[in-house]
Amino acid sequence: MSATRTLRVPNRIEELPGVSEAVEALGQEEDWAPDVSYAVVLALEEVATNVVRHGGGEEGTSEIEVEVISTDEEVRVEVRDSGKPFDPFHDAPEPDIDAALEDRQIGGLGVHFVKVLMDEASYRREDGRNHVTMVKRRS
Amino acid sequence: MNVQAEHHDGVLLAKVEGRVDSSNSQDFERQLQAAIGDDVGAVVMDLAQLAYISSAGLRVVLLVAKTLGQRNVSISLCSLSDPVQSVFEISGFNRIIQIYDNQADALAAAGK
Repeated sequence: MSATRTLRVPNRIEELPGVSEAVEALGQEEDWAPDVSYAVVLALEEVATNVVRHGGGEEGTSEIEVEVISTDEEVRVEVRDSGKPFDPFHDAPEPDIDAALEDRQIGGLGVHFVKVLMDEASYRREDGRNHVTMVKRRS
Repeated sequence: MNVQAEHHDGVLLAKVEGRVDSSNSQDFERQLQAAIGDDVGAVVMDLAQLAYISSAGLRVVLLVAKTLGQRNVSISLCSLSDPVQSVFEISGFNRIIQIYDNQADALAAAGK
């Protein structure tokens, strides 16, 4: 089995739950295991939220394109946007996950989730757009 | 997403249902703060019906835990599904917030 789904939404936080729903539906059609589905939906939300918050430009003024390719072996997700260059894997701060409660900083967790939960995650700037590619293997 | 509050002998039990993501985390924070109020001795968050939480929601849990810590109010979590549990583990929050397998254990520990 394999399937490809491409979604385009305005760069607004309110648009993201609809993207999650569509990707979850694809996961059900393609019979993803629950942990694969959770990882893919979470990684996608974290990256897309970063795009909206750090992409520059006002919310709703540009577009985020999401492509999900599901095969028997893996789920491949690409997030593209035309905002200013932003590499979440190098430009976002690393959280200190060993800090005590009172010292623990709010934030920085989203990219950490992507790195831990996905098997591959990479960034490239191409054709004036940011491309974040993530792969989750299904076994 | 919905937060339901119950009082059990001075312990505030907050049951969180549904999905918490970047689109509703501010609403989650408001509902949680309203449920907790100013006058509780301990807080237990029951996450049995929490289907999904992302870093935006974890940020709220951390913020609330910090605020309660400054007031010397204890907070614990219980009944996490496997994926939600793993998100708490990846973030390291399981080492700074007590997590119980079930509500009875959490309430018993909080009531002491």
